[in-house]
Amino acid sequence: MRNLVLTIIFLSSIFSIINAQEKFITKSGEINFEASVPSFEEVKATHNSVSAIIKSNGEFASLALVKGFRFKVALMEEHFNENYAESSTYPKATFKGKVKDFDISELSTDHKEYVLLGTVNMHGVDKNIETKAFIRKVGDNLFLDTQFVLKPKDFNIEIPSVVSSKIAEEIRVSASFEFKGTS
Amino acid sequence: MKKQVKIVISLVLLLLGVYFAYNYMYQDHRNIKEEKAVVLISASELVSYFNKNNSEKVLNKTIQVSGIITEIDIKNILLDDKVQCSFDAEIKNLNLNETITVKGRCIGFDELFDVAKIDQSSIIK
Repeated sequence: MRNLVLTIIFLSSIFSIINAQEKFITKSGEINFEASVPSFEEVKATHNSVSAIIKSNGEFASLALVKGFRFKVALMEEHFNENYAESSTYPKATFKGKVKDFDISELSTDHKEYVLLGTVNMHGVDKNIETKAFIRKVGDNLFLDTQFVLKPKDFNIEIPSVVSSKIAEEIRVSASFEFKGTS
Repeated sequence: MKKQVKIVISLVLLLLGVYFAYNYMYQDHRNIKEEKAVVLISASELVSYFNKNNSEKVLNKTIQVSGIITEIDIKNILLDDKVQCSFDAEIKNLNLNETITVKGRCIGFDELFDVAKIDQSSIIK
């Protein structure tokens, strides 16, 4: 009887070690986007308090509060929030997805290229994207960098014809995260 | 004489138009540090605005939040594990477990970590 109990305890511990997810988190991720058109005013925004989490099985999720995107030109920031992104109605931009074939033990201090697949949700619309993610590990910290392109019309974001020539049809997005391990 | 006066007046009106248009287009960002806070609350009270669906009272508004520093980063601190305050410059002279009051603009509630966030923060005491 005693041996049975001990065996069960032993097996459960092994089981939980095997199933233990390592989680890496950040609340200060950076996302920049740029939609400038040559010879017109720079259209560029930066966000420095993006939240994100990545697990050792490759699951990745991120959330950016739309009001946190800062533009150099105050009026542009106002138009972005009130007319385009409508951030009072849709306060969050999120991403939920997975890094394909992610294996933490393969990581080194040099970038390794992975495929990141998932769904972006913004302005009330879901869109699936696939992008390259460059991941490296330095000590207990994970670094993930990715760049991709989004189109405002894919998210029902209407840009009036008066300004449409001054905003690029394709928005270049770049995201950079420094994750800390939670063990 | 009359024609010259008309030309001068038109020119002045044009210049005034340009002046006001320029000031509108290149208006300053809000100065959160100088604005008056609409509420003075604790970190838990800020979170409850979002839990009770009352976010319009604080979203995009300047607020003052108090709490104990539970995390510090280069430009961010966490109060009571509930409110993240982002600063535009590197944080100096703040330590874990200190109780402080921060003024900033509320940008929303992050459901990933159940944390309310404010930006353009400045320290009040």
